Amino acid sequence: MFKYIIEKAGDVNWMGISAMVTFFAIFIIASVVIIRRNPDYINKMSNMPLDDGTQPINNQETAYSHEK
Amino acid sequence: MAQVEKFQYDNEIVRKFIIASVLFGIIGMVVGLLLALQFVWPELNFGIPYTTFGRIRPLHTNAVIFAFVGNGIYMGVYYSLPRLLKTPMWSKLLSNIHFWGWQLIILSAAVTLPLGITSAHEYAELEWPIDIAIALVWVVFGLNMFMTIIKRREQHMYVAIWFYIATWVTVTMLHIFNNIEVPVSLWKSYPVAAGVQDALIQWWYGHNAVAFFLTTPYLGLMYYFMPKAANRPVYSYKLSIIHFWALIFIYIWAGPHHLLYTSLPDWAQSLGTVFSVMLIAPSWGGMLNGLLTLRGAWDRVREDPVLKFLVVAITAYGMATFEGPMLSVKSVNAISHYTDWTIGHVHIGALGWNGFMTFGIMYWLIPRMYRTKLYSTSLANTHFWIGTLGILIYAIPLYWAGWTQALMWKQFTPDGFLKYANFLETVTQLKWFYAARAVGGLMFLSGVFIMVYNLIKTAASGAFLAYEDAEAPAREVYVKHKGDHWHKLIERKPVQFLLVSLVMVMIGGMVQIFPMILIDSNVPKIESVTPYTPLELEGRDIYIREGCLGCHSQMVRPFRSETERYGEYSKSGEYIYDRPFLWGSKRTGPDLHREGRGNKQSKSDAWHYNHMLVPQTVSPGSIMPSYPWLIDHELNTSRTADKIKVLKLLGTPYPDGYEAIAVEDLKKQAAQIAKNMKADGAGVEDDKLETREIVALVAYLQRLGTDIRPQKAADATTSGN
Repeated sequence: MFKYIIEKAGDVNWMGISAMVTFFAIFIIASVVIIRRNPDYINKMSNMPLDDGTQPINNQETAYSHEK
Repeated sequence: MAQVEKFQYDNEIVRKFIIASVLFGIIGMVVGLLLALQFVWPELNFGIPYTTFGRIRPLHTNAVIFAFVGNGIYMGVYYSLPRLLKTPMWSKLLSNIHFWGWQLIILSAAVTLPLGITSAHEYAELEWPIDIAIALVWVVFGLNMFMTIIKRREQHMYVAIWFYIATWVTVTMLHIFNNIEVPVSLWKSYPVAAGVQDALIQWWYGHNAVAFFLTTPYLGLMYYFMPKAANRPVYSYKLSIIHFWALIFIYIWAGPHHLLYTSLPDWAQSLGTVFSVMLIAPSWGGMLNGLLTLRGAWDRVREDPVLKFLVVAITAYGMATFEGPMLSVKSVNAISHYTDWTIGHVHIGALGWNGFMTFGIMYWLIPRMYRTKLYSTSLANTHFWIGTLGILIYAIPLYWAGWTQALMWKQFTPDGFLKYANFLETVTQLKWFYAARAVGGLMFLSGVFIMVYNLIKTAASGAFLAYEDAEAPAREVYVKHKGDHWHKLIERKPVQFLLVSLVMVMIGGMVQIFPMILIDSNVPKIESVTPYTPLELEGRDIYIREGCLGCHSQMVRPFRSETERYGEYSKSGEYIYDRPFLWGSKRTGPDLHREGRGNKQSKSDAWHYNHMLVPQTVSPGSIMPSYPWLIDHELNTSRTADKIKVLKLLGTPYPDGYEAIAVEDLKKQAAQIAKNMKADGAGVEDDKLETREIVALVAYLQRLGTDIRPQKAADATTSGN
């Protein structure tokens, strides 16, 4: 079945080209969506490693963000 | 606000993985040092099979990749995953089954590889029973990880967890597809795919073992431990999202760059090159994100050894991921491939990225888990400097050696002849580079011993906190808000996330592998190519057992410098009965695809006998080890019929019922080769020469690359050269 479909396609280059187009489409859409995201959410996510529910080793371990 | 719940993180399992990583790391590096020294003094194989280069090279790579780095991954995951999800690991029992199961697999590799039990697929050498054990233990790890994610107290999954999920799902896929094989016995199997198809699947796996075992999990660790060590969040969380999706989508396509200028169809090679070059973008995005996390805190790098290790690790990642795409450009690859340049390149990644990242994390973890301070910052700094210099002294000579090698291979005289027609000249030229590389490796290893001392003293000065108290509110029932978009939704749903990741990584594999397997025109058939005779088949399995492909390729590329040296360039149709393919990836010795009788570089049977006994008698200055056991050992033919049966099952056109008479045929051919050897004065004192393993190996070597000129080869066999 698959063999038939691929053989009928003749040239396989379209598969590579369509994969690249897919990639760029996803990449661009994802970039646009991500850039427009809520800064509070980004801030909360990026601080996640610093807040693990244990007592801080010292009082310097406080939230901070590069992306305000 | 939900009620705050109390729970504990398990540091005990993290400590176990640290100990295993260090212990097996040292063993893997010591074996690596022995290998490096064998380039200078080949007699350091001590004349026995179990310490000979071909057999212990996979021991080194497996120990470093799966034991040192593998345990390093689990160390980091078992520490960071519960803390990012604010819940303990789901099952302590599964954590321990995972730990002990993985160590047993490593021990079985340490036993079977020196015994010559190997499937000859690089970084996937372990035979089928161990492959099944790996799959089971990997599922245990995955189950524990996913159940922990499902039982989490955090609503969303931090980006490090995405990298862990992508690692798990992709390694599962790669491991299954690269190990589809039919067993002949408990310790011998043949892969279902043959020749160029086997090569494509293997390097789809091999490259992505680098991508999804050495890279993505360590990027997850970087996104957790770099902010921890720097005490500030990652530079850009937005960039980390783009980094993740772009990296996993593109990485899977890059495998064919290991097969440039081979018999792989051009379209597949081109895809490998294009996607490899594209990889620079997400790789450098990740590197910059890691390094810029230190923005405003660079002064701390001066004092904190943890940050020193992490900064050099991430820089090494950046260097290796720039160099990799450059090596994938065909014109560069024409020079670099099969040379020591590649070995230098991978060690920037292995020693710099994986090694230093592991050490940095260990220096960070041990004082925290023992509630104390690092015993000696100056010893850690000493480790850092001796390690950094070790990496440079390791890699630079190998780059130099690689360029020297490639230039010598390609150098012609003004009259149009190869200037270094004797391959050996290009080897003896490199001895000093190899010696320097061993010094670099020794320095790096010395640094590890300093670290072990420092960490043991640190542990001794503190009290181990096996279970760390923590508290967090229970996870609230999520209420969908207007404006929540697709990514926010999959970040909360681990199974959907896994499926989306799987689809992303499957696209590349499917586009490359399906057409190769399904479209016949990708492997043009050659009428005169016939299956191996039983004796040649046994000889081929000895070639596999001894790991000859660690130093010899079987792929003449279509360059004038190669066709002049070896003969006609290799065609994909010549390999259709090669299970597994044996193209190799390094030429410490010459290519052997046209080694067979009647070809340009062919030698007599007696020459091969003497060469395997003491290579230096026929090739003065050679750094090939001696193989005296091949001269003494009797060839085991008890499985020959089974091998023929399995190969027939896989489509090799042996006549019906041939397995019943295969050993008889084998003996006839062996008698002829033994006669040839004795006629030339080799093995004359051995009454049972025709029963020795050397005869089978020589039969195989004399067959190599002769199919496209069968009549001449047949003539030569009967005339005794």
